[in-house]
Amino acid sequence: MAQMPVRPTAPVPPVPAAHRRGRVARRRGREDLAGYVFLSPWLLGLLGITAIPMLISLYLSFTDYSPLIPVTESNWVGLENYRRMFTADPQYWHAVRVTVTFALVAVPLKLAAALGVAMLLNKAMRGISAFRGLFYLPSLLGGSVAVAIVWRSMFNADGAVNSFLSLFGIKGQAWVNDPTWALPTLMLLAIWQFGAPMVIFLAGLKQVPIELYEAASVDGASAWRKFAHITLPMLSPVIFFNLVLETIHGFQGFTSAFVLSNGTGGPVDSTLMYTLRLYNAGFVELNMGYASAMAWVFLLVVGAITVVLFSTGRFWVHYSDSEEK
Amino acid sequence: MVPFPRSATPDQPTPAPRTTRRRLLAAAVALPLILGAGACGGDDDKGGGSSDKVELSIFWWGADKRAELTEQALNLYTQKHPNVTFKKTWQANQGYFDKLATLTAGGNAPDIFQIDDNYIAEYAQRGVTLDLQSAADGGKIDTTKFPKSLVEYGKVDGKLAGVAMGENTQGLVFDKTLLDKFRLPAPTTGMSWEDFIKWATAVSKTAKVPGTQDASAVYQALWVYLRQNGKDLYKDNKIAFDEADITKWFQMWKDARAAGATPTPDVIHEGNDSSVSKQLVVTGKADTSWVWVNQMPELKKNTKSELGVVAYPGDPSAQWARASMYFSIFRGTKKKDAAIDVVNFLANDPEAGKILGTDRGLPPNLDVRKQVAAGVTDASMKQTIEVQNELGTKFGPTSPAVPPKGHSKVKTELVRIAEEVTFGRSTPEAGATAFVTAAKAAIGQS
Repeated sequence: MAQMPVRPTAPVPPVPAAHRRGRVARRRGREDLAGYVFLSPWLLGLLGITAIPMLISLYLSFTDYSPLIPVTESNWVGLENYRRMFTADPQYWHAVRVTVTFALVAVPLKLAAALGVAMLLNKAMRGISAFRGLFYLPSLLGGSVAVAIVWRSMFNADGAVNSFLSLFGIKGQAWVNDPTWALPTLMLLAIWQFGAPMVIFLAGLKQVPIELYEAASVDGASAWRKFAHITLPMLSPVIFFNLVLETIHGFQGFTSAFVLSNGTGGPVDSTLMYTLRLYNAGFVELNMGYASAMAWVFLLVVGAITVVLFSTGRFWVHYSDSEEK
Repeated sequence: MVPFPRSATPDQPTPAPRTTRRRLLAAAVALPLILGAGACGGDDDKGGGSSDKVELSIFWWGADKRAELTEQALNLYTQKHPNVTFKKTWQANQGYFDKLATLTAGGNAPDIFQIDDNYIAEYAQRGVTLDLQSAADGGKIDTTKFPKSLVEYGKVDGKLAGVAMGENTQGLVFDKTLLDKFRLPAPTTGMSWEDFIKWATAVSKTAKVPGTQDASAVYQALWVYLRQNGKDLYKDNKIAFDEADITKWFQMWKDARAAGATPTPDVIHEGNDSSVSKQLVVTGKADTSWVWVNQMPELKKNTKSELGVVAYPGDPSAQWARASMYFSIFRGTKKKDAAIDVVNFLANDPEAGKILGTDRGLPPNLDVRKQVAAGVTDASMKQTIEVQNELGTKFGPTSPAVPPKGHSKVKTELVRIAEEVTFGRSTPEAGATAFVTAAKAAIGQS
């Protein structure tokens, strides 16, 4: 593809093999350079916005850095931040529990909702694209603060949800103001935003060869068998992809928890997601060194979970094109 | 962030290498998502100014009203000093200090910023604020007309870290209209905690509106209570209370809840979690709220009811004149002299004082305060001044020093632990133990 301009030279005289190799190498080098030039917008972003700040935060995680002082004035404290995190901060472990609970419940339910709706929308029907658009809409609003604010007021004790429930004589909960219900309300918000994985599932479903279903029907397979033995296996790469993405997303949940709890993670720390605790440690309590340490542990753990997912993928992800193992 | 769907479409039968490529693709999408966790940053240019034309950045929190008044006062300064203009930024209380810390971290702290006793020790000890002592000694900032305690409350480790912009004290605000409707008596200054809770229980029964917001999570109420019992929140940068004090405090409110004096725990949480304008006395979910006297006009703006205000229950001499907030100057400012003059103007100029009124508390300059009191027309502001002047005559001889670094964390820990007790997830005793531990950790006391 990348055609480098070639100098308009006269017919090249035959050159010794060694010479020719040198010229190829030079040309190679120029091509590499061009590649990097084209990459540079991304590369600069990666270095300037991600990689370098990350390395700095790794350093800061071994210091008592506070945003109020210059980095150069912060003191090296070794592993103190990590020690405190693991042994002396009960709120840390609480935040871990909240986050893991959130991810374990919200991610599978969100994927199930996405797959279910995708299958419904995979029918030939008038106006189906309008429906697809509508179901995708919540995800466009995705991480936005506005949705979380609306959610908060809907799930207030005197909010829309309770008014609706009272129509049926059901006495609603205080939802966001009740430590038992606040986290489920947060999960519901995450599940509701199933549009992104749904679109991917939809695309995946369209790729499943119709003949497979026809053949199964001829053999008298039930709808469930078709789903379990054709749809799921054929879709497993897409499921895998969505699972990895949504798991990472789930662990990173911040905005909605922040807005729903006014930034506190309350009531009684029931919505204290890991990232929210991290934010409060860094920006409210001004222990940025500690917050950096939290970020690094988080990075390593989420990275490890991703690696585990990839390694289990071998056992349940079927690529239609790969031969039997 | 939304992954583009195309990337994951499983293709029709294709040659084997695709598998690896697809996995790589998934990994490539996943990686930046994970990495996103650790990174943030930002850098802005600072607009410098020549010696005669000066633009000062100034940052404060507050409601619309405060913004309006502050802008007017600053415009007045510009009128008098046409070479000085302002870059004004303001926002709601929530998130203000996150923003201020971020600006400071980037070296872009505003020249002048509002701060309160939650953070002034932290900012001063970290060397963010300019020590104004020499300016005060040289008369560039005149604090001679301030009550002495108000000047002292701006000092951290002997340095003048901020100039008080207002004086306030605790105020128990009640919905008078509601009480009158049911011919119920109003709470009074000096009534005991016991009587107050009995009164609140009676209100709940008669008016069918909970008599009072549960104050177990309200730090300034606990503070008054401790001082009434010969203790304090802090002394010499250490906590000055023990588990028994906190147990009694939590138990008192537990009994109040059981008697029906307070709303249900979720509503209590809502009250603890709300800004001034959404306090339960305003939203009609309780008859009384625990606030600061200078917040009266802001509360009044949000309700049709007539509001009354008295001291917190118990002996009112435990209350004190607190510097409600300060203006501090960033140590790294390049426009030190201009900033000092502006802060002095806001604190001492009679015209500015007239504009600012009591929005930040009673004017710190006593001459200005007298003038403002004489000319005030706003009914709730008038009420604020009267009540605070009256309470002022009852204050005891000692007032607490500025709370130590970590005070804001102590406050959030109190809310968390008090609510654990409120929701029945902890007992007063266990809560007290947890709070003492948490408070010590927060202020770095071993």
